[in-house]
Amino acid sequence: MPSASSPGVSGRTGFDRALFGGKALLLVAAGALVLAFPSMAPDAFILSVGVVIASYAALAVGWNFVGGFTGYISLGHAAYSGLGGYATALLIIDGGLNPWVALGVGAVGVAVVAVPIGVASLRVRGASFVIVSIAMVLILLLVSQSWAEVTGGSSGLRVPRPFDEDVLRPEQHERFFYLHVALVVVALLVWWAIDRSRFGMGLKAIREDEDKAQSLGVPTFKYKLVVFVISAFFTALAGGMYALWFGYLDPIFQFSILIGSYMVLMSLLGGIRSLFGPVVGAVIVGYALEFFKNQYGDTQFHLVALGLLLGIVVLFMPDGVLPALGSLVNRFRPKAASIREESAAELLERSEQPRQAEEVSR
Amino acid sequence: MSGSLLLQSIILGLLLGGLYALLAAGLTLYFGVMRVVMIAHSAFLILAAYLAWYFHRETGADPLLSLVVTVPLFFVAGVAMQRLLLSRLRPATLTMMSVLLTFAIALTIEGMLGYVFTGTQRRIQLDYSGSNFEIFGANIAAVKLIAFGLAAVSLLGLYLLLKKTKFGQALRATIQHPEAARLLGINTDRIAGYGFGLGLATAAIGGTALSLDSTIYPSLHWHWIGPLMAIIVIGGLGSIPGAAIAAVLLGLSQSLLQVPMGTTWAQTVFYIALFATLMIRPQGFFGGRLAQRF
Amino acid sequence: MIASRKARRLAISSAACIALLAPLGGCGLDSGSDGGSDDEIVIGISLPLTGDFSEPGKGVQRGYEAWAQYVNENGGLLGKDVRLEILDDQSSADRVASDYEKLISQEKVDLVFGPFSTRLVVPAAQVAKDYGYLFVEPAGAAEEVFTQGFDNLFYAAPAVADDHYNLLAEEILAMPDNQRPKTVAYASMDDPFAMGTAYGLKDKLEEAGIKTVVDEVYPPNTTDFSSIAAQIADSNADMVVGGTQYQDAVNLIVALQQLNYQPKLAAFSTAPTNVEFPEAIGDKTEGILSPTGYTPDATYPENKEFVEFYTELNGTPPTEDEANAWTTGEVVAAAVEAADCADPSTECQQKLIDHLREATVDTVVGPLSWDEEGRPESAHLIQQYVDGKIRIVLPEDQAEAEFIPVKPAW
Repeated sequence: MPSASSPGVSGRTGFDRALFGGKALLLVAAGALVLAFPSMAPDAFILSVGVVIASYAALAVGWNFVGGFTGYISLGHAAYSGLGGYATALLIIDGGLNPWVALGVGAVGVAVVAVPIGVASLRVRGASFVIVSIAMVLILLLVSQSWAEVTGGSSGLRVPRPFDEDVLRPEQHERFFYLHVALVVVALLVWWAIDRSRFGMGLKAIREDEDKAQSLGVPTFKYKLVVFVISAFFTALAGGMYALWFGYLDPIFQFSILIGSYMVLMSLLGGIRSLFGPVVGAVIVGYALEFFKNQYGDTQFHLVALGLLLGIVVLFMPDGVLPALGSLVNRFRPKAASIREESAAELLERSEQPRQAEEVSR
Repeated sequence: MSGSLLLQSIILGLLLGGLYALLAAGLTLYFGVMRVVMIAHSAFLILAAYLAWYFHRETGADPLLSLVVTVPLFFVAGVAMQRLLLSRLRPATLTMMSVLLTFAIALTIEGMLGYVFTGTQRRIQLDYSGSNFEIFGANIAAVKLIAFGLAAVSLLGLYLLLKKTKFGQALRATIQHPEAARLLGINTDRIAGYGFGLGLATAAIGGTALSLDSTIYPSLHWHWIGPLMAIIVIGGLGSIPGAAIAAVLLGLSQSLLQVPMGTTWAQTVFYIALFATLMIRPQGFFGGRLAQRF
Repeated sequence: MIASRKARRLAISSAACIALLAPLGGCGLDSGSDGGSDDEIVIGISLPLTGDFSEPGKGVQRGYEAWAQYVNENGGLLGKDVRLEILDDQSSADRVASDYEKLISQEKVDLVFGPFSTRLVVPAAQVAKDYGYLFVEPAGAAEEVFTQGFDNLFYAAPAVADDHYNLLAEEILAMPDNQRPKTVAYASMDDPFAMGTAYGLKDKLEEAGIKTVVDEVYPPNTTDFSSIAAQIADSNADMVVGGTQYQDAVNLIVALQQLNYQPKLAAFSTAPTNVEFPEAIGDKTEGILSPTGYTPDATYPENKEFVEFYTELNGTPPTEDEANAWTTGEVVAAAVEAADCADPSTECQQKLIDHLREATVDTVVGPLSWDEEGRPESAHLIQQYVDGKIRIVLPEDQAEAEFIPVKPAW
């Protein structure tokens, strides 16, 4: 796939300006569409599907703090969304807190819990991190099922409604749709801010080559830990928000490996390095899930579809659809020049390929 | 806890630990030859158990006979998986992407099993399911002993293969230092493929052993992968003896803790041990140089 | 891959967003059917046809479908045909809620029937309640279902989980001292229904001074029962009680046999009534007890017709799952006939609910009535394997065989 020329420009060309304009226009249009969605939805069911997709987007963006910046793939982020849900519910039920306060306090609590988990799993590279992430989901599933006095055990836990009884169900959906969208927007802003910061540069250096980053003086462990905790915080917020909307927590579905893998698939499909990647992935995957369910509801085939889709993404487009589309647009870019934008990993890989390829690119 | 219950728990723990050890050995092989955390290992385990069950249901013959088919089949599948899928991944992101890829394979297997055999729990009904014999007041079920024997023999065979044969030497060289192995003229790619095949063959044996005395259902593999991964981290990623020792110790603790703590809480012993290991000794307790960086 | 940073962030994201969100209403997610037509009554149901509860879920489905066919062959409901709209919730709580959301708000079904299992009943009942629908369910027997403030919910079976063993408890307490078990071992699946049955009995026996020597709860997907069995065998309890579904009971019994443990009484919920049970255990079922809410041999006139119709349709007599589904249909039909309406309007649904609060409905499991929270107020029968067949032994006036107070060895 790498083409011989290396685009990337220092000055603005007309093409860039047009591109920027197009992007802005698309963004505004998308924003308007999202805001208008509740009034366009033909019935409450479609609206509730919208809430689910918005919730997926919030989870995926939360996941992408650690996945996108550091390249550490967590398959067990359902641990933090589940914890966020339970923390919110328990703070309301046992702590008597206002639901929204409970949501915030719960997410902060989950962030605190994430610190020791991060310390344990981030000291070593890759493999242990993944193993711990899966272990977290399994351990929390066991605990939430067994500790019935607190969590309600396998009977589940009902979460009190944050709105009055007289707010009808469709109205609830609408409010929660906007709340979820707001959460996504806030998370995206934070992601964007980190992306442009020195902190973000350090993180991306870790993603591309952790050893080099370390030798260049990036405090890799500290950086990884901080972004991991931020990720847990936003994932917990998304989980808590979902719990408030859905109104019922069942440990099997809260601490499910499947939910964690949805987050990975959505982010990876959209593109973990791009701001909007996880959102796009969430819309595609969320929609596809509903579609499959509607068309082929009665079989276990959705698991196969999910597995195959994940496999295809990993094998053939590990950078996601957005970058793929981006490079497509770049083909139309007039004569590009100079500054190379590619990861050390890609460089390394290319350098292992026959010499001539290297010569062309230099 | 009475003496006989203690003895009973120790025996049950050892029998369970034997199966864990065999399966963990497979996981360790994958990690050794390719630095791959093979999430689908336990999915193949369940697949093998289903094949044994299906074989028994269709032919009425002893499920152990299904090994004749499943072991070579899984070996080939393992080689194919390594050569066709995992070797396509970029080396720089291999660890992470291989996790996702094998995870995807696990989901696919689970989905297919559910599709073909439905989600109903299955169990092989054997004439000797309930038979047992008594030693010092403790009862040992015949099926559990067969499963343990199968695991022990396979593990011993694997050990001899690695220690005594030329192929084993090449495999160990590939695990320890792939570059150096290549310089010595070892075809590390082919060896890695065979290593993968061997790993998957352990899943075939383990699955058949499991099917003798356990209920199976498609999503059961999630209950195995957690403990198994904890075992290989504690044993030190890449060390087969380490994994085997950790497996037996943890199987034993699980069985003993079940008495005072109950089954659910006893399962947490794996994860607590996992966290403790990562906090105190991230490279695992028996691991060597290899584990330092992973 | 070589791509510029700007291009990477390309707002194609937004484009994809638009492309996918806009047609949401139209493409793929709409069901073709419309519940509003006048000549039929559409009943919306979500059932676990795949996943953990798929076996009982399919049983319930057979029951519902048989009921609908029966009704349609006998003049329909209010003179209209009944059509069932059944969705698969994959045994997932998230799914079941979205299914009822879809049935009620998108397809505007006239009535809803409940799903299977307590876990799925609670989230589903919430949706039904939010839309003011009557919610009669065939399977949520655990206490948790009735304490959530659902004023629209009715359980269409004779008794809640905690009361399933009531007759057995009475029988045990009435035994002479030398026969009465002194120690009991309990093992229950961590499931609201299964635990409800075992702990209901435990409370009653403990109150009477019968000692609990083992009290184990295991997660729903446990497959290795050897160490629970080891504890039970070690305690050598006089009686073993299992709060079980199906496979776990089989596994537990085999594990107990492996340890050569011989109790005087053995009671397990649900599993022994399953037709596959004797096959799975081998010829070692004699004396095993089980509560049941239904028997095909019951003499209620409704039941005779049901068994006949069902057997002709499916070739086998119905089990408890099918019977509970059928009962659900009977209960809702009775309410519809009495209120003379079956449409989604809040007034009609409220009329149906109000009627059932007061009513007693004759069903295949006998006459049913409900308390304020929707708990049925009858009792479960106790069955026992006698001479290789499962037969009713309690209460005495319905007994088909003599109660065996000391179980033969298994």
